[in-house]
Amino acid sequence: MSDTAAFLASVPLLAGIADADLVDLAAVLRPRGLTAGEVIWREGEPADAMHIVVEGSVAVSLSLPGDTETQVATVGPGEVLGEIPLLDGGRHSGTARAAEPTRVLLLKRSDFAALVTRRHPTAFALKRRLADVACARLRGQLTKLAASLGDGVPVEPREHPRAELEPSGPPDSRYVRRLADFRAVEPLALWGFLTAGRYVRCPAGRTLIAEDEPANACFVTMHGAVERVIVRGGRRIRVGLAGPGRAFGHESLIDGAPSPVTETTRERALLLVVPRTAFEQLYHGETAESHLFLDVILRDLMASLRQALRPQAHLASRRAWAADPPAPT
Amino acid sequence: MCRVLGYLGEPLSLTQVLFDSDSSLVSQTYNPRMMSTFLNLAGFGMAAWEPHSIEPEDPLTYRSTTLPAFDRNLRSLARKLAPTCLVAHVRGVTYDEDVLVGETNLHPFRFAGTRVVLAHNGHLREFGRMRYDLLEHIGPELARRIEGTTDSEWIYALVLSRLHDPYGMPEADELADAVASTLRILRDIRARHGIDTSSPVNLCVTTGRDLVATRFSFDYGWYPDEDALLETDLPYVSLWFTIAGDTARSLLIASEPLTVDTTGWLEVPEYSMVTARTVADGVHVQTLDLDV
Repeated sequence: MSDTAAFLASVPLLAGIADADLVDLAAVLRPRGLTAGEVIWREGEPADAMHIVVEGSVAVSLSLPGDTETQVATVGPGEVLGEIPLLDGGRHSGTARAAEPTRVLLLKRSDFAALVTRRHPTAFALKRRLADVACARLRGQLTKLAASLGDGVPVEPREHPRAELEPSGPPDSRYVRRLADFRAVEPLALWGFLTAGRYVRCPAGRTLIAEDEPANACFVTMHGAVERVIVRGGRRIRVGLAGPGRAFGHESLIDGAPSPVTETTRERALLLVVPRTAFEQLYHGETAESHLFLDVILRDLMASLRQALRPQAHLASRRAWAADPPAPT
Repeated sequence: MCRVLGYLGEPLSLTQVLFDSDSSLVSQTYNPRMMSTFLNLAGFGMAAWEPHSIEPEDPLTYRSTTLPAFDRNLRSLARKLAPTCLVAHVRGVTYDEDVLVGETNLHPFRFAGTRVVLAHNGHLREFGRMRYDLLEHIGPELARRIEGTTDSEWIYALVLSRLHDPYGMPEADELADAVASTLRILRDIRARHGIDTSSPVNLCVTTGRDLVATRFSFDYGWYPDEDALLETDLPYVSLWFTIAGDTARSLLIASEPLTVDTTGWLEVPEYSMVTARTVADGVHVQTLDLDV
């Protein structure tokens, strides 16, 4: 085993990946040295690689309106950054700068895509591990947002009673295929995914999952919209909106912890309910529909993480607002 | 469809926001980055308040169905203007022979003698079924002034009709109440007709002194089975804002950021309203949940 592969075995993100697969992974990683203060990427730039810190540390900051910025994280040895755009191909959501002389290993998007295309076991394992990391980061962000609402325990919104789910047929398949997220998907994989659970209708303003409660199923919105909120006392922050094609409620199924947010229907909704057993089969499987399911879950975790960063920017930018700060929405 | 831009604050280079920035409003006519299907080729309009002009409380208005990228008059005008308030709009329509492209359908709308202007990014599905039910909520004198065929002009007349004095100078709070009341009327009429499909209503309403903008949709996520607008509506219709200076000297709000680098822009939350008021040391901005 090479030095790089041996180092990878100590990286928490890669825990559980077989030694032989780590050797394959080490072969596609590229080393890079950074001087203190060197900018690795700026917020908004297109992303093309995930970085694993070998030595040193990297500070991540968010820009705020009014030409100011706030530091949101420091990433040290064995930790990763840039993993979100590795999967969803977006732009960097923060600026990354070496805090000291630092060595990193890069996994280029193109190299990762090649692993995915070959259905290499490392690609599956890495996607699941990335989902774990993204889930943990999301929980961290949501905890910060909840703290911004002051002390207090989660409150189930009284105005949003528990949902009574009415069984329903599936949506029109032509409509589903026009959803951007499913347009390029193999028909058989899509069929497998869409038949993994049952369909239900729910009126607007109903709570599907309460914060701090264990969840036994995750959902995919087919029609309508579901709001993800944190509520403390009379105050609430919306941290996401799951419209058509978007999954939600999966955090608890990934890490076994209670739900980090309350999920309520903002519009009446037609939902695909994926129970825990079906979730686990899909999430840990290596079939075409498992691939699709992992992609859907990862995409929505990444979107949630990006969205969770935005309210934080709103909150951090309060001092840039004249007079009264904006009410969290 | 459509792209809108609102501004309130210190004098702003019109050339910069309309033409020069790398994702300027005019470039969004032929290269909108956050729309996948439609272009915004059905005309340009703006209302700009210039503090050094004659009667500065009245905006300069400009509307043309000429493609703004090739409009030399607009470029010439823009080079000379630095407004303290602006609403500009590029119109996008479905490629359909029933759609009328003409000056009377260009935003922002402003009836003669009124202080309030309005531009709309969105559309009310099945508006034809709702149109005449709106008449009972619109002052007759205002209803007679509707010249075009758009749902947006009717929304404008509704907002004016919800004001204490349609010809007065309402402050941000009254404008915000009028806009929320207008959305409630539209909701009720939609319910009366059983209209329950997605209809985005992103509005930008201003008097030149205060500004109100919404990011809102009725029945988001529900579409008719065969619908040309599906790809446009699927993501919640976008709205972004940025503020300048540590003490908020200005607010710039737009359907999509005016720069490719979105650093410094924030997304306006879905189902919300932004209000901006001119105060002694800048602009006072608030974001409110819009639950109608």
